Amino acid sequence: MSTETADLLTATLAREIASSGVRMFAVTSPAAVAAARAARELGAPELALIVGFSVIDGSPVPSVSLGEAGLLTGGPTFRDEPGDVFVGLARGRVGVAATPAQLDASGRTNLSGIGEPGNPKVALPGARGLPDHRSTSRVWYLFASHGPRQLVERVDVVCGAVPPPGALRRLITPAGCFELAAGGWKALWLTTGGAELVASAPGLGVVLSGEEPVIDAPDEEALAALQLADPHGVRHIEFAEGPEATRLWRAAAEREAA
Amino acid sequence: MPAALPLEELPAHIPDGALIAIGGAGLQRKPMSALRALVAAGRRDLRVISFLGSLDVELLLAAGAVSELHSAGVSLEGAGLAPHYRAARERGSVRFVEWSEGTLLCALEAAARGVPSLPTWQALETDMPLLNPWLREGRDPFTDEPVMNVRALRPDVAILHVAAIDDAGYAYVDGDLAYDGALSRAAGQVIVCHDERRSSEPRSAALSRVWVDATVHAPRGAWPTGCHPTARVDAVAVAAWAAAGLDATPAILEPSA
Repeated sequence: MSTETADLLTATLAREIASSGVRMFAVTSPAAVAAARAARELGAPELALIVGFSVIDGSPVPSVSLGEAGLLTGGPTFRDEPGDVFVGLARGRVGVAATPAQLDASGRTNLSGIGEPGNPKVALPGARGLPDHRSTSRVWYLFASHGPRQLVERVDVVCGAVPPPGALRRLITPAGCFELAAGGWKALWLTTGGAELVASAPGLGVVLSGEEPVIDAPDEEALAALQLADPHGVRHIEFAEGPEATRLWRAAAEREAA
Repeated sequence: MPAALPLEELPAHIPDGALIAIGGAGLQRKPMSALRALVAAGRRDLRVISFLGSLDVELLLAAGAVSELHSAGVSLEGAGLAPHYRAARERGSVRFVEWSEGTLLCALEAAARGVPSLPTWQALETDMPLLNPWLREGRDPFTDEPVMNVRALRPDVAILHVAAIDDAGYAYVDGDLAYDGALSRAAGQVIVCHDERRSSEPRSAALSRVWVDATVHAPRGAWPTGCHPTARVDAVAVAAWAAAGLDATPAILEPSA
């Protein structure tokens, strides 16, 4: 993926967070950190960032070592008990960005495996926090690609449940930005070529009207906020694949170690 | 004051078949020196809890030391997927009990409080009970609302790694404590490995001495995982493990390798 598209997706997430009204945002990846820090510049200056499980009001920098070094170098932190993350989730005060391996037409998610539950043909990392998002009022799914492997009619293993009515679920991909509504996923806007990508993943059930706005680049203010938040471009690791992703990750780790 | 153990004596406290809980999360603060000692001692049939695992799980699986694994996820983060973990699950060679982060915390809290189970809203309407017999859907006795009942999970031993410890046994962590607090309250015995000793300042401690049974001085003992501020993740070593795939052996994770 081009860095321009990666920045469009990350800046979109930043704008979404800034306008969502969430007080706490759980960062789970370098791109999410970059977006959340940029969101502070874009209208949510008091946004608290949850890092790991015992810091619910931190200011991490985008880093490949989020748990420790990245956590401590970006500003003041407040340590709390791990359970408070889940209290925040239960009370609807937390927004989350996630990248499951599969997302389906009803908003279910999977990061456990491909194949029958408990008998995976392909084992994935594990459910992680996906089953804990049932009560989460706002979740954004950030995908580096838009295709039939990830975006399906029904996930193989239900890690994350169908969200409750009224909960915000949005999907950001190279095809555009989508929202889960009562009748399924709807396109809020598309990229150039987004319609073809949507057609390549029919299982998700997106029906296009042909009138969706087309956006191919972030606005200048959001891009500037993103570059301020992540000057080393650590976010781009998340949108790379295979050996390139490993190379970028290793380079970032070595830079941080120095 | 907790007992100070030499690293080589640590395996004597952890018999074959023990349910051990490993501290840290992802590539941070994994007690790798302690796990290498267990591998060197030939431990077998360990039941392992690693809330978010990485090279800790990989090392023990590669050594054939694990019979059961409890985790919410195992990966090498940006370096890729965890080869031995994936193979163990796909081949069914190890009993894998899959948790979510929230339900695992709930199970540890139940153990810490001495109750057989705790209810939660987490994991409702998912396939998680199919993957984890510690989870059972039911009804709240007061409201009849659906709840997920989470059975207590009590580790025999928790093995943690922290940046520093003082003479009294207070443990100091710069950064995310992850689940180490919950593990230390739930486990029957808590062993804390540490990079260095420091002067006592309990107000800034991350873990009270009251939960610590034994300490082990293990300088750079989290390597190749990180332990801020004394050690960053050794990206070269992590990438080497990922690149080796199923050919990765415990020898790769010897500090001199």
